Amino acid sequence: MSIFALDQIQAQLPEALAERYTDRAGEAWGVVRPEHIKAVATLLKERLGFRLFISMDAVDRLHLPPEQQEPRFEVVYFLKNIERNEHVRLKVLIAEGAEVPSIRAVFQGANWAERFVWDFYGVGFSGHGDLRRMLTYEEFKGHALRKDYPLRGRQPLIPEKPIRDIFRGPGTNGVQD
Amino acid sequence: MASGDEYDPTPSEDELEAHLQTRNMVINLGPSHPATHGTVRLRIELDGETIVSMDPEIGFLHRGFQKSCENVTWTQVLPYTDRLDYVAALANNFGYLTAVETLMGVQIPERADYIRVIGAELHRLASHLTTAGALALELGGFTAFLYALEARDLLTDRVTELTGARLTTSFGRIGGVNRDLPPGWVEKLTKTLNKVEELAAEVDALLTRNRIFTDRTRGTGVITKEDALDFGFTGPCLRACGVDYDVRKAKPYWAYSKLTFNTPTGNNGDNFDRYYLRVLEIKESLSMVRQCLVQMQPGPVMIDDWRITLPPKEDVYGSIEGVIAHFKLVMEGVPVPVGEVYHSTESPNGELGWYLRSDGTGRPYKCHVRAPGFQILAGLKRMCEGRMLADLIPTFDTINMIGGEVEQ
Amino acid sequence: MSDEKKVEAAPPKPPPPAGPPAPPPPKNPGMITFTVDGKEVIAAPGTNMVEAAKQVGVEIPYYCYHPRLTIAANCRMCLVESSGAPPGKLVPACQTAIGEGVAIKTDTQKVKDQQRSVMEFLLLNHPVDCSICDQAGECKLQDYYMRYDFKPSQLEGGKILRNKRKVLGDLVVLDQERCVLCTRCVRFMEEVAQAPQLGVFGRGSHEVIDVAPHFGKLESNYTGNIVDICPVGALLNRDFRFRARAWFLSAAPSVCTGCSRGCSTFTDFMGQDVYRYRPRENEAINKSWMCDEGRLSYKQINQNRVLHSVLGRGAEAKEAHPGEAVKYAAMKLKPLAGGVAVMASPVASNEDLLAGLAFARDVLKAKEIYVSGRPQGKADFFLMTADKNPNRKGLEWIAKAYGLAIKPFGDLTAALDAGSVKALFAIGADVPEADETFAKRTERLELFVVQATNATKVTAAANVVLATTSHVEDEGTFTQEAGITQRVRRAFPPKGAAQPSWKWAVDLALELGNEIKAMSSRDIFRSMSAAVPELKDFAWDKLAPMNQTRPGISTMAAGADGRPPGWREQGVPNMHGLSKPQET
Repeated sequence: MSIFALDQIQAQLPEALAERYTDRAGEAWGVVRPEHIKAVATLLKERLGFRLFISMDAVDRLHLPPEQQEPRFEVVYFLKNIERNEHVRLKVLIAEGAEVPSIRAVFQGANWAERFVWDFYGVGFSGHGDLRRMLTYEEFKGHALRKDYPLRGRQPLIPEKPIRDIFRGPGTNGVQD
Repeated sequence: MASGDEYDPTPSEDELEAHLQTRNMVINLGPSHPATHGTVRLRIELDGETIVSMDPEIGFLHRGFQKSCENVTWTQVLPYTDRLDYVAALANNFGYLTAVETLMGVQIPERADYIRVIGAELHRLASHLTTAGALALELGGFTAFLYALEARDLLTDRVTELTGARLTTSFGRIGGVNRDLPPGWVEKLTKTLNKVEELAAEVDALLTRNRIFTDRTRGTGVITKEDALDFGFTGPCLRACGVDYDVRKAKPYWAYSKLTFNTPTGNNGDNFDRYYLRVLEIKESLSMVRQCLVQMQPGPVMIDDWRITLPPKEDVYGSIEGVIAHFKLVMEGVPVPVGEVYHSTESPNGELGWYLRSDGTGRPYKCHVRAPGFQILAGLKRMCEGRMLADLIPTFDTINMIGGEVEQ
Repeated sequence: MSDEKKVEAAPPKPPPPAGPPAPPPPKNPGMITFTVDGKEVIAAPGTNMVEAAKQVGVEIPYYCYHPRLTIAANCRMCLVESSGAPPGKLVPACQTAIGEGVAIKTDTQKVKDQQRSVMEFLLLNHPVDCSICDQAGECKLQDYYMRYDFKPSQLEGGKILRNKRKVLGDLVVLDQERCVLCTRCVRFMEEVAQAPQLGVFGRGSHEVIDVAPHFGKLESNYTGNIVDICPVGALLNRDFRFRARAWFLSAAPSVCTGCSRGCSTFTDFMGQDVYRYRPRENEAINKSWMCDEGRLSYKQINQNRVLHSVLGRGAEAKEAHPGEAVKYAAMKLKPLAGGVAVMASPVASNEDLLAGLAFARDVLKAKEIYVSGRPQGKADFFLMTADKNPNRKGLEWIAKAYGLAIKPFGDLTAALDAGSVKALFAIGADVPEADETFAKRTERLELFVVQATNATKVTAAANVVLATTSHVEDEGTFTQEAGITQRVRRAFPPKGAAQPSWKWAVDLALELGNEIKAMSSRDIFRSMSAAVPELKDFAWDKLAPMNQTRPGISTMAAGADGRPPGWREQGVPNMHGLSKPQET
């Protein structure tokens, strides 16, 4: 929802909104250009009252009809204004390998959400500062929710990390001594 | 007098400080730890008893929910949703189904709405009782925990009679609810609710005015309203900070618009408020279920469209239309039209949001669950850094982090 | 008196009766412009509405219409509203040609009611067979029911009972209860197969399709196609019946290797077994049809395969893994280089021949190759050719480009009998004479190395049998008799310890000191086809047909762990951006 928010964004940051459309459930969406997402987020939070960070995720468009396949990823943002009781739904289209400006400085909740998107889709966020994997381990190869990552993909076995300051009992030397 | 000759054991200031070269200690709380529920590894740097910094590491319960959902039909996602917030499975089930129904644009029968409210509220009761009880458990009050779990067990019995399973209910289908209330269930439920009310009152009496309890929970795990909104807190954790946001009131769904209930809010955003809010919500839920039982009218519980719901078995075995409908719905999945939707419901932990994307086939293209616990756990760092280690325990309890939903 | 004055002017002639006004000139001269559901379509005159609507993505359902058969218009499913129709009447879209300026609507309530009624009537006497019907998953009744009629049945009373398993021919069985009498099979047999042996018998609700009485059964080489075009599960393939459910099968685009026509096919497989061939639409070669012999040729991929290389003859024969086999063969071939006769079979793919003949020329120092292959057979009037080898043209092109003389098989047998050949290296074990005869001829050879897919008497007589993959286990190309090169996609990874033929050549060459750099058949083609003038312009990557999908089935390759694909283990199908599901 929130036609209000989209109208305001269009009025105050006209170059930021690439497109607006309505989804099947009748809710309004705004497609934001990647370079402006931080400005849009700041505008929404500071001046329009969308202070509640609801969620953030990404979609891999590899298996959609060909006209919708480029750019490959969509990063979706959901914010809420409690006083006006409205959600705003934003979308950023980003190609593989490109980076979206991070909104971690604007919303602290975006910290983990962006790490999640990085972990599972490989979409980088510039300016995040601590972009490591969220739910998988560091040595995980690949990005699991991409459509070309197989459902039963296997990972190479990771060698055990040498932990030096643990005593493993009499007669053991640990992994590396 | 001859003070230089006597040995003065009192050390001087310099001596006290001189050779103590302290270092912050880094300890691991978890991933398996008796005082945390869910597998979370908290890497805590301690200066004495004060937490200097904390780095939560999650992912031990990541089971690939989204990836699995993309490879099964819309109906087959339902058992996966049970296992998200496994304490309140019905809330997850119905939240997901409502999101799919919104995407398809179908309206479910009224009785199904009421049954969904009853189911969700029963599991809200279960979840809040568990939280309150577990909080007591971790702080040493085992009795309150047992009372709370006894109440929860009675509710689980009712849910078992309704859905067939204690924990992973998979109840409800796209288009309504797959079974009506069993005969005699309403009477049993009424008795259960009375008993639960008594037990909840016992728990309240044991804890709320308990000196030890209040000392440990008041003023600990404080988060300000601005930080809570910034992190994305919703549900009891947000309402405890004083923000009145409840999806049931903000965007009523199912039968909530026909029920009267309050959504209490707290003041301080500390552990005690989060706990007490849950106690008050238990009372509200009990009242809501009672209202539903009074207001419900007999009627169908599933819509009667064979493009969405399975035909009755006599038709499946007896007519070609039935078997075709059954076959196509099972093999290819419900034909959800192309589109996307974001829909949210109020689960016991907060706003459970679903971002669903359909590409026209019978399988979801993308099934993102906005788990309330994910954002709240992100805020744990803010709530605990700079505070005492002992305050971490009640904080971790009152945020009610359920590993299943946080890590999908 | 005053007659002259009163000459009355003749009353003015009434204007000629006005005919219909001249039609306005066409918007696009030479083509017809009309509207479907508000979208404008420009199509050639004579196109019917169904085809024209497809251009703008509007799907009109039908059962009896087939673009390659005559129009029957008896199913009435494709009825649409047309502005050019008599008032109140719907027109059959498959039969009606488009008219200039006509507007047709396919989504009004009237059309929807009509579609629903037709579905209801078709399903009225249809048996409740989905659970046991082979067509489930690829049945038009099922698809259209969910889209156009999702209401329960209104039938009270029983359904008409008819013959449920009438064997019509060697390959076809008819279930008369499931038949919706679209008469596609009747028209096909008459028009395409030139064997009008089917007909509709009876009247009204008791109509049945049957073989005409003076034929005992269907006698034609094209009966398998009526199974494909039957929109319901009435006509079923006796060979495939009850063996696999359609949604468990994955389809890989491929080519039939039964004869040199090279009909385009789909290989339907599950795991590492092939279950059937279906024809793939190819306007230039086989339209939408396949002959029965080719259809059944998939059995060779499953049966009697050589899956492990064998060293030694007769009693000393023992299995060896590929590395061992390569070393042994190389060791044996080394002293004989220059005196090894090379026999190449035109059943091998172009990549196999590119690598194999390069090996023959560079390592074995051969100057000519002997062409073996399957023996000649019957040809028929339509698709089947007498030459039963799929790649003879490819072999000829490649050999010529490499400068190797092509010698007929008779020369080889003469040389073998005369004893002037000491060693034989064979790519492919198919010989144009009886296997036993050839096996006897090779008894006196010092060394007989053969790359074979199926175990025959010839392989039993060989010193070294190198287990080779069939054409569905590797990507490749085949050139059919008219010179059209077609790409073949891989269905599943090689069975057992078999390797593609080109890989044997690469391994042997490496062992014998002459490296051919290639990791896949693609590398082979890219590096070696430049020498062959007819192949060098073939776009190997671009012309690879996309894998076909069907609801519930994915054809993505095996997961990263290399296990052969089963349907559950594959990721989400890439349903879009592929060739549209072809006409059936």
